[in-house]
Amino acid sequence: MKILVVEDELELAESISSYLKGESYVCEIASSFKDAYEKISMFYYDCILLDIMLPDGSGLKLLEELAKEKKQDGVIIISAKDSLEDKIAGLKIGADDYLAKPFHLSELSARIHSLIRRKQFDNTNQIQFNELKIDLLSKAVYVNNTTVPITKTEFDLLLFLIGNKNRVISKAAVAEHLSGDMANMMDNFDFVYSHIKNLKRKLMEAECKDYIKTVYGTGYKWEA
Amino acid sequence: MGSMNRLLNRTLLYYSLFATLILLLSSPFFYWMMEKLYIDDVDEAIMLRRKEFDSKNRDSLTTAQIIDWNHFNRDTKILPDTISKPKEHIIQEMFFDEMTPEWEPYRILYSDVIIQNQHYVLMIRLNLIESEDLIKTLTWLYCGVLFVLLLIIFFITRFISNRLWKPFFNTLNQIDHFNIEQHQSPVLVTTHITEFKQLNKGISKLINENLKAYQSQKEFTENAAHELQTPLAVFQSKLDMLLQDPSLNINQASILQSLYQAASRLSRVNKNLLLLSKIENNQYTSREPVDLAKTIHDVIPYFSEQALSRNLTIHTNISDAPVLNACRPLVEIMINNLILNAIRHNRNNGSISIKLTSEEIVIGNTGELQKLNTQNLFKRFSKESKLNNSSGLGLAIVKQICNFHKWQVSYEYKKNQHFFYIML
Repeated sequence: MKILVVEDELELAESISSYLKGESYVCEIASSFKDAYEKISMFYYDCILLDIMLPDGSGLKLLEELAKEKKQDGVIIISAKDSLEDKIAGLKIGADDYLAKPFHLSELSARIHSLIRRKQFDNTNQIQFNELKIDLLSKAVYVNNTTVPITKTEFDLLLFLIGNKNRVISKAAVAEHLSGDMANMMDNFDFVYSHIKNLKRKLMEAECKDYIKTVYGTGYKWEA
Repeated sequence: MGSMNRLLNRTLLYYSLFATLILLLSSPFFYWMMEKLYIDDVDEAIMLRRKEFDSKNRDSLTTAQIIDWNHFNRDTKILPDTISKPKEHIIQEMFFDEMTPEWEPYRILYSDVIIQNQHYVLMIRLNLIESEDLIKTLTWLYCGVLFVLLLIIFFITRFISNRLWKPFFNTLNQIDHFNIEQHQSPVLVTTHITEFKQLNKGISKLINENLKAYQSQKEFTENAAHELQTPLAVFQSKLDMLLQDPSLNINQASILQSLYQAASRLSRVNKNLLLLSKIENNQYTSREPVDLAKTIHDVIPYFSEQALSRNLTIHTNISDAPVLNACRPLVEIMINNLILNAIRHNRNNGSISIKLTSEEIVIGNTGELQKLNTQNLFKRFSKESKLNNSSGLGLAIVKQICNFHKWQVSYEYKKNQHFFYIML
């Protein structure tokens, strides 16, 4: 899987690429409009992470360029400007998702995961992981073909963990992921613990292997 | 503000007071002056008559004629030298007049005369009674004229003042209706009066500078918040990378946990500041029908989950389902902020009540048994509680959203509960 990170803040671009490299992604970095334009016109990427505010041009221009050439690359906008208008404009031109800075790398990874999954034609609606099967359409989880009774929040949590497998997700990232729009107001991550606990219990009761590891109460990891 | 405190009315009040005072004081003075002048006149006439007597009658008169003289002269009499009155200067005395009949004031001169070597007293007097009537009439006339004059001046002053001060009141009215948040400097009516021109110029300058300062302050907040997003993103991403380190020990993990919390708080403050400046910059323009009951119902499950860890109970009492023409994202943020506040500042095993009618939203919660300081409650960063991870902007945002929709927000502490009211 090839990913292009269009971001002029090199430190951020490097963090993103080294986080994603852990999951068999190949990352390239473009730090200017020109650089990005050249790369986009030459290669195909499964996903492009696009910063809108670049020193030598607007990321939205690149989006228009992609649309004009009818390219199928998935695009996630990463912007410092968390404005509804920008979001709507970006999605209209052809972006697949919009993520406002600052974000957790785990959140980004989960979004990429879901974007790439949606773009794959063969296996859109199901994720298979050893004895675990997740049906994305009906939002059902099966262990060895037995249904696991799971709440919506726990389902989201499971997908989030699997979207970041073998990497540690911070409690804060989980809390923000589960809070959605409410994340701006959250200041208490205690509820994360009980959701993790419940999910773990339910999976284990269904005789699923315990994949969820806790890292010193700071983070969680789906260990494959 | 009583209408008596208006500039014009004040002017006219003082004017009336002074005019009355002048009228009251000047009338007796006028009367006194008139009287004095008249008496001087009368005295002069008496002296003239005395001179006349000296030159024409004194030498030719015989003692035998005195009776006749006295018989025919009512006001110039020759009396025997037995009168012990001050001589040679004019005094005032009352005499009884049989004709009227009443006591009447006279100016009177006694002087010694010698007729045929005999001493007599010559008395010359003049009645003041007619003059008194005249003076009274004159005084009344004077009063009348003065009163009418003052009355005319009163109305003229009022008329002129009203006209003259018009530009001033125009300006005043404009300033009164000026709202810095609407980004529009008031249009001041041009005037030809130097002072008002100066005033308008000064006010325009002041307002424009204020608008500029306000604008740049707002832009600063927005720009600063935006500029912080990228370094924050770098910071947070580096934390995420650090967390992946397999050699991480428990101490480092707990430091990392604190850093995560600080980063979350920073990003929260930043996002809330951005939200505030967006509302202030009128970047939320869309209005649509918002069903408040549904909005509240939608978030209750989420908050119930939040409330679970502290064993809080949430009571809802929705008696009406008002549909408002409002900005949906802002209404949601407002409701969320209020409920979250009620959770955050609650005590364990406490309760939260949410009431919705067609006129108001009331959110109450148990918590500290003390009224909050209402003065600073809705101000930015004026944190009342000791919880140091709240952003200090929640209520400021609620207030701003209420202002935006022209709703009223208020706080009340009663029956050991804290209540926030939104009057729709």
